[in-house]
Amino acid sequence: MRRMRLVVLGFLGILVSTVTAQSNLTYALQVGETGKAAVVDTFPGTYAGEKVNISIQLSVVNYQAVDSLDFVFADRPIPTLERWGEQVYAYTDSEGSDWTVWRKKELPKNRKKRVLVQNAYGAFEQYLHASIEVQHSRGWIWFVLAGLILAGVAAYSIATVVQRRKEKQLSSVEQETLRRKRMGMRRHYGSQLYLWLLLLVLYAPIALIAVFSFTESKILGNWTGFSMELYANLFTGKADAGLNSAIWYTVVIALIAAVCSTILGTLAAIGIYNMRARQRKVVSLMNSVPMINPDIITGISLFLLFVALGVSQGLATVCIAHVVFCTPYVVLSVLPRLSRMNPNTYEAALDLGATPAQALRMVMLPELWPGMLSGFILALTLSVDDFGVTFFTKGSGGLETLSTFIYSDARKGGLTPELRPLFTIILLVMLTALIIINIRNKKQENN
Amino acid sequence: MSKVLQIFSSRRTWAWPYILFMALFVVLPLVLVGVYAFTDMSGQFTLRNFAKFFSHSEAIQTFFYSVMIAVLNTAICLLIGYPAAYIMAQEDFRTPKVMAMLFILPMWINFLLRTVATVELFNMCGLPLGEGALLFGLCYDYLPFMIYPIYNTLQKMDNSLVEAAQDLGANRWQSFWKVIVPMSMPGVYSGVVMVFMPTVSTFAIAELLTHNNIKLFGSLIQDYITTTDLLNYGAVLSLVLLIIIGLTSFFGDHDASGEEKGGMV
Repeated sequence: MRRMRLVVLGFLGILVSTVTAQSNLTYALQVGETGKAAVVDTFPGTYAGEKVNISIQLSVVNYQAVDSLDFVFADRPIPTLERWGEQVYAYTDSEGSDWTVWRKKELPKNRKKRVLVQNAYGAFEQYLHASIEVQHSRGWIWFVLAGLILAGVAAYSIATVVQRRKEKQLSSVEQETLRRKRMGMRRHYGSQLYLWLLLLVLYAPIALIAVFSFTESKILGNWTGFSMELYANLFTGKADAGLNSAIWYTVVIALIAAVCSTILGTLAAIGIYNMRARQRKVVSLMNSVPMINPDIITGISLFLLFVALGVSQGLATVCIAHVVFCTPYVVLSVLPRLSRMNPNTYEAALDLGATPAQALRMVMLPELWPGMLSGFILALTLSVDDFGVTFFTKGSGGLETLSTFIYSDARKGGLTPELRPLFTIILLVMLTALIIINIRNKKQENN
Repeated sequence: MSKVLQIFSSRRTWAWPYILFMALFVVLPLVLVGVYAFTDMSGQFTLRNFAKFFSHSEAIQTFFYSVMIAVLNTAICLLIGYPAAYIMAQEDFRTPKVMAMLFILPMWINFLLRTVATVELFNMCGLPLGEGALLFGLCYDYLPFMIYPIYNTLQKMDNSLVEAAQDLGANRWQSFWKVIVPMSMPGVYSGVVMVFMPTVSTFAIAELLTHNNIKLFGSLIQDYITTTDLLNYGAVLSLVLLIIIGLTSFFGDHDASGEEKGGMV
């Protein structure tokens, strides 16, 4: 108990000292273009008192949607910017051109900003694009973290010293047992700590998505107050039309692919199981090829096939491609069920006058369905999660699944905000399923 | 009609549709990669695409860089993942199933979305995007593929072997290196293959994690294959990748042969 109190006190002390130190921190300001540094003042209003670091690297990029930008440096009037943002600054550069700086109305706080330079060399669609760059110094986070860790270590060692002094009064046998116990505890808590730290890192980005699904802000990382607006948008279909169709296509493709591959894979598994050893080896090898191939290879090879055949790519080609990489997993989950089954029951059914179809339905299916179900679920998962194969086989007809939608969204520079609640819901559903399965398993064990 | 029925009453033939499907959509496309690599735009046989690859220093550099990143990522995943799998497989670890599920659960969130969130996290902490961010993101995405197979083999291992080693006088460290590690090698091999192969061919993640500043081989292939008049050159690059994949899976298979494989599925 006493040790706990010491630890808590230590933490509090260090926390107070870091917070007070942090208020004295200032950020450094420099605004410059690559090559020549033109130092400009703070942008008025926006960053009052807060100093900002802008560095610009010029590189030509294709058309960027204005929405993905945060600042525009322009040496000419651009009418569309009036709606998008406000003029925050004007300056003359070393070559005598007058520049105006525009700022987007809702500016993300915590990430680097995207800056666009529009000058005489670029048409509106082909900018010289300054890739990113207003950066807030967030160094104090590390001070706080380091402080916390130091505080922990300090408190722990003080507590240990106090404990040791007390133990000195005990007999040597008691001391030895205590030491043993402590070793075991240390190892136990050490390994627990390791796993939980790993999980913490693994879940940090996901937590970010979940937390920021409860605010309206367009930008991930910008907290504009609690709101359920995004959830409402998602369920009333007010979200981006592209997102809605992407969700729809993802579900349709996953269902088609999973149903087709379950049927094809189950039949194939029955066939493979009844083959002679050598044949079976060949087919099994072929079956493992799509599983070994990384998705980029599967995608590209199918893309080349469709190009060679002159097939226009769209929903059908994506479905075929998904069946290609899902079916092997169905085969693999049905095969073990077959080997557990009595091979003679099917023949017995035939001898008793059943047609093959009847025998399949009434004898085989009841035995095989757990394998088929797990294959089906696996296929659904794989299909929903796939990006690489879909990317190469979706064609240019505007078909997008969630994965490709997120990809093109991220390339444009922002995420459609409704993606946050969508995946938060998916995560919660999975978590609930996990908990239910666990509780059920526990109950079964207890029985 | 009855003849058709007769053919299908032999269950061996039930795999035929699948074999046909695979021939058309797995084998033929892979053959086509080779065909495209050896032909030019008009379909004539040529070796010019290969000549271009060997004189294209950007492609060669990107290739070696990608392999290096993949090796590095695999090593990091192994270093981080092995202890985690080992801890979970311990007998006195009370909730291995829950823990294993917790490690897989993030994979249900689209990996691109997770990658974007990682980028935001880096920005929030003021960390620069670049090689470090790339390795972090890759490791983050593929760590479960390393933990799972190792955990599976370790868990199936007979614990009395470790006890026997300790009875015979081995200390904890010796019994770990001489008994547990060799026994878990099949799991390590399949973990290595499962992490290395997707990393060496990854394309979207690198782009997002480095703001397009670092290019991996996958992105290079993507660039060329989607440009109509460079499609044949793209096929050469894919073929190179295919060879690497083939070699990896061959060695992975070879090393684990004869022993029980600790695969994920």
